[in-house]
Amino acid sequence: MLADEIAALLPRMRRFARALTYHREDADDVVQIAMERALGRSEQWEPGTRLDSWLFRIIKNAWIDEVRSRSRRAELFAPEEEGEHVGDDTAQAHQQRLAIQKAISLLSEEHRLVVGLVLVDGLPYKEAADVLEIPVGTLTSRLARARDALQQLLADPTRRTP
Amino acid sequence: MTFSDDTLMAYADGELDPAERAAIEQAMRTDPAIAAAVARHRALRADVAAAFGGILDEPVPARLQPVPSTAPASVLSLEAARAKRKRWSWPEWGALAATLVVGVLVGKTVAGGAAPAIAGNGGQVVAQGALASALDRQVGGGKADDAVKVGVSFAARDGQYCRGFVMGTSAGLACRAGGQWRIPVLAEVAPEATGGYRQAGSALPAAVLDAIDERIAGKPLDAAGEEAARARGWR
Repeated sequence: MLADEIAALLPRMRRFARALTYHREDADDVVQIAMERALGRSEQWEPGTRLDSWLFRIIKNAWIDEVRSRSRRAELFAPEEEGEHVGDDTAQAHQQRLAIQKAISLLSEEHRLVVGLVLVDGLPYKEAADVLEIPVGTLTSRLARARDALQQLLADPTRRTP
Repeated sequence: MTFSDDTLMAYADGELDPAERAAIEQAMRTDPAIAAAVARHRALRADVAAAFGGILDEPVPARLQPVPSTAPASVLSLEAARAKRKRWSWPEWGALAATLVVGVLVGKTVAGGAAPAIAGNGGQVVAQGALASALDRQVGGGKADDAVKVGVSFAARDGQYCRGFVMGTSAGLACRAGGQWRIPVLAEVAPEATGGYRQAGSALPAAVLDAIDERIAGKPLDAAGEEAARARGWR
């Protein structure tokens, strides 16, 4: 069943959405909207094409349409977020992961999309370009600029706080 | 040999073909700046992947899972039957059409009982006896051993209530009009559908499902809707 295959991709959908919108609840809202759309239009998915790319495109559109307007940017660095992921790993590794997530949240929307698809999910350039409906050359140069911006944010802590 | 930073990035991302890879690996051995640039791209990719990797292990919130419908079984099975029907090929459609026996079963009896379940009445085929009584009273899909099982119920576009039913090896649609259950379509149930597992909705032949599709206004009634319609005498 297609619904089962879609459900199996939920962890990756959530992770991609978290790259787009830092706040966990906003990210899951995006995934929920995307799930409703995907299941409602499952006949639009062409068998033989990649289901993950199709779902990521729906997430991208859901994010742009529904959630961007009410993004909780003001709550980005609310205190309760800071301690959420502390597990048994070292505090330093934890801090680095948080710093990267925050830095990505400060990228432009265009850059967050390419970083989310290629660096966070690990999609090949061609698949990522398909999701964004842009040529591979455009994706490559956009990804290079996004990486530069991300390196700068990570190298310069003063720019991490808006 | 020089390479653009985009090319080094693509190398670090595993996007280059073997010839390009070999050229860059050659350059990395002789040019520390190229090796450092590749290392920087690889490190960023690894760091970003690590920063989000834990999300894959989080339990997925229930609200994101595909929703199993809480609708009554007859509704579910009607939809399942429709979906299944859409995949059938034309020869199967032909075979189903051949099982159509509208009007032929006038005078048919239920499970060997004495009273006819269907009667001709001034050009109309109407339910009577056990069938009429089941159509009047049965809600929620009936019990497994009922001689008549009433499945989907709905309001038709003309405002009448209609109900799909299965009776022995026949299935049909009955619509309430003039204090009677008129039967616009009656068909033989395919043999495999009369086996051990059978729900009123899923057993409905294509001809009956088509008749439902033609008439239904909105969605089938749920159990509460059936109760309410029964309380009003299906008017």
